[in-house]
Amino acid sequence: MSSIVCAARIGAVSKRLSHDMNTATLDRESAEWLCDLQGNGGAREQAIARLHALLLRVARGVASRRRETLPDRAIEDVDDLCVQAVNDAVMAVLAKLDTYRGAARFTTWACKFAIVETSSRLRRHAWRQRKVELDDTIWDRLPDAAAPILQRLENDQLIVALHRAIDDHLTERQRLIFQSVAMDDVPIDVLAERLETSRGAIYKTLHDARANLRRALIEAGHGERVS
Amino acid sequence: MIEPEFQKLLGSSDPDPGCDDSGELMDEYCELVLRGEELPHRYTAFLTHITNCTACREDTESLLAVLREQEKTSRG
Repeated sequence: MSSIVCAARIGAVSKRLSHDMNTATLDRESAEWLCDLQGNGGAREQAIARLHALLLRVARGVASRRRETLPDRAIEDVDDLCVQAVNDAVMAVLAKLDTYRGAARFTTWACKFAIVETSSRLRRHAWRQRKVELDDTIWDRLPDAAAPILQRLENDQLIVALHRAIDDHLTERQRLIFQSVAMDDVPIDVLAERLETSRGAIYKTLHDARANLRRALIEAGHGERVS
Repeated sequence: MIEPEFQKLLGSSDPDPGCDDSGELMDEYCELVLRGEELPHRYTAFLTHITNCTACREDTESLLAVLREQEKTSRG
């Protein structure tokens, strides 16, 4: 694409976004990314390659920061996992280009896709060989094997009331999700994969379960501790 | 006052838009934080969500770390 045509398109992209958002003009670098990625031919291919390289650096940075959360056996697969995550993130960015409103710089917006995709894969990878199941023994384990949250709670009366509220006021799916995520620290992405649903859907169930439990604990006379 | 461990267990009862809607704001939020700007009121629910949701909080922290790194590189 000639530089004159591209400059005109950058102006048009910037103007469209300013109009859509009713905010200040889009920064030039973001407008250039959009122009290149929405164009045709070589310029678009080059922009996709640049985007892939940028997001791969981001994904590797995320993996490096999360390294200590990964078991040793999982470390060697991490780079492949980053590449797969970035392939998917680039596809998502291209598919959602029309939804970019310029509220943040284009690269920040795009990095978000790489981070969510990479972190989610790393969490699932770390849990690959661990079971997730509704474990009723969670309440009966000896202190050193207790769920981390129960080790820190010191109010026995409240723990008993919580146990009762979980049994009486949650559906089986809510119990599984609440106990796994809130009590046993199972990552929400792991549960989403195992239950074949999305992070958002798991979170919604967790949110509803927490609301039910808060209500039940207030009714049981523990309002001052939970609200 | 809610006990901290119960806060973690039961989350906050304040309005929480969930993962999808909060994800839409994550990039804007990180840039505002990086610029040191005051957060507009519409981020209150986003902040509640990242308090309640470990995965979204970690992702937001990761994006902030990436932006800080990029800023350092572009300055250096």
